[in-house]
Amino acid sequence: MIKTVDLKKTFVGRGQTVHAVDGISAHIKPSEVVVIIGPSGSGKSTYLRCLNGLETLTSGQITIDGVDLTAKKTDLNLVRREVGMVFQQFNLFPHKTVLQNIVLAQQVVRKRKTCEAEEKARMLLQKVGIAEKEKEYPIRLSGGQQQRVAIARALAMDPKIMLFDEPTSALDPEMVGEVLEVMKQLAREGMTMVVVTHEMGFAREVADRVLFMDQGKLVEEGTPEHFFTAPQEERTKAFLRQVL
Amino acid sequence: MITNKQIWPWHFLTAFILFMLCAGLWVATEKIDYTWRWNRVPQYFLYHDEGLIPAPFDGRVASLSKIGDKTQIKVVDEDGEVELFEVDSESLQVSENDDLFEGDSLGSASEWRAGPLMVGLWTTLWISAAASIVGMIIGLITGLCRVSKNPTLRSLSVFYIELIRGTPLLVQLFIFYFFLGTVLDISRIMAGISALAIFAGAYVAEIIRAGIQSIPKGQMEAARSLGMNVPQAMIHIILPQAFKRTLPPLAGQFISLIKDSSLVSVIAITDLTKSGREVITSTFATFEIWFVVAFLYLLLTSVLSQVAAWVERRLAVSD
Repeated sequence: MIKTVDLKKTFVGRGQTVHAVDGISAHIKPSEVVVIIGPSGSGKSTYLRCLNGLETLTSGQITIDGVDLTAKKTDLNLVRREVGMVFQQFNLFPHKTVLQNIVLAQQVVRKRKTCEAEEKARMLLQKVGIAEKEKEYPIRLSGGQQQRVAIARALAMDPKIMLFDEPTSALDPEMVGEVLEVMKQLAREGMTMVVVTHEMGFAREVADRVLFMDQGKLVEEGTPEHFFTAPQEERTKAFLRQVL
Repeated sequence: MITNKQIWPWHFLTAFILFMLCAGLWVATEKIDYTWRWNRVPQYFLYHDEGLIPAPFDGRVASLSKIGDKTQIKVVDEDGEVELFEVDSESLQVSENDDLFEGDSLGSASEWRAGPLMVGLWTTLWISAAASIVGMIIGLITGLCRVSKNPTLRSLSVFYIELIRGTPLLVQLFIFYFFLGTVLDISRIMAGISALAIFAGAYVAEIIRAGIQSIPKGQMEAARSLGMNVPQAMIHIILPQAFKRTLPPLAGQFISLIKDSSLVSVIAITDLTKSGREVITSTFATFEIWFVVAFLYLLLTSVLSQVAAWVERRLAVSD
């Protein structure tokens, strides 16, 4: 489903060159849930953002569902409709109501009729458990509710892949659960997911595979059991001692 | 600390200070022996115009019919052609079946006409409105170019903004009128409107740019991640939010534009300011007319700021 070959992304600024992503090759299969963990600044968010073209690559290759993102003639907008993304800061559109947030891209990008788009939006709001808030503006919602709307908004485009960029890091602790619950449900339904998170519990329970990144490099990967119980690399062991 | 709820003494103080200011002005004008003639002002807003109506051709009065205090005269010429006229009944000078020669007076008709100050106010209003609309469009396009990734668009917009902001509007008006007006053969009104619009456009562009840049990057990313292209994201996501944030400075800019439009009087456009000057030459009521002109500008600008405040309140529902 997703294939990256020797992906590199360097930021150059003020005379410094930062290798944010430094040669990552990975293959994510359909319906697989991959959790990427690692210390801050390890390049995991940048890697995720490369997967839907929010960051331009320095070198390497990404293929999503058979489409080469790095090819010149690829229309990134067409790829992005198939790849949903959920952000740490929710990024809901503050000037639109909850329902409009979910309806807008369906109308503009998928060219759906209003009634069809609204029906889909209501169905998804039901699914994420906030059907009663459809007329509210995002500012009146709690963080957890906003993030669930953001998930619904991404799902409304019927994506084949969902990317989650630290979806619970900006939430109050008591709201983390409700968002993770929605994500678990998605995983059970067979969605292909790539999740950058610090929630080790989620990784352990839901992930099919865990990738551990440090300084832009893929240090270790494996099933959750392998990763949490018998890590091989020294760096992984040190990280796990800190977070567990 | 407990909030002091008694604010009326402060309002009283404000009123008192304003009153003292006015009193001071009054005393000062008393000293210079100026005779105020406010009664001369209203006729320059509206006046009663009485004009004789002559017969247009040789003919005959076919019929007279009274409607209220007006009389309708039906005139028929030798070929049977009919024309209708309306005069005040009191001034009627013909009766039925009278023979008429071209130029004979039928009577006089009076009507209310707008005086020079009204006409000037209207000119100022529509020149400012036209310049605002064009200026907004120019500013929006330039503002978008200013944040564009294309270096040529960016440099051109910076060049335009710097050029316009760095030169006085008065000089720009002269250049537009004398140079561009001659070269491109445009009328003085067009020259005036385009100078104002291009001047305002530069400032609007900077306001729009600031507005766009004040929207968090995540908004564009969220829009793009949903598959929208840049124009779609701009139209549906970024610009509506930027517009809301920039409404107060935009309103300020357009209020400035109304005031700056007074400069077009230098290229002989009869706007409010020029009308004021013309009225002064015939009345010598210098003080009164300038006060009235100032008040009329204040009227226009305060209506605009009220409208802006209303729109702002309407857009505040999502806060």
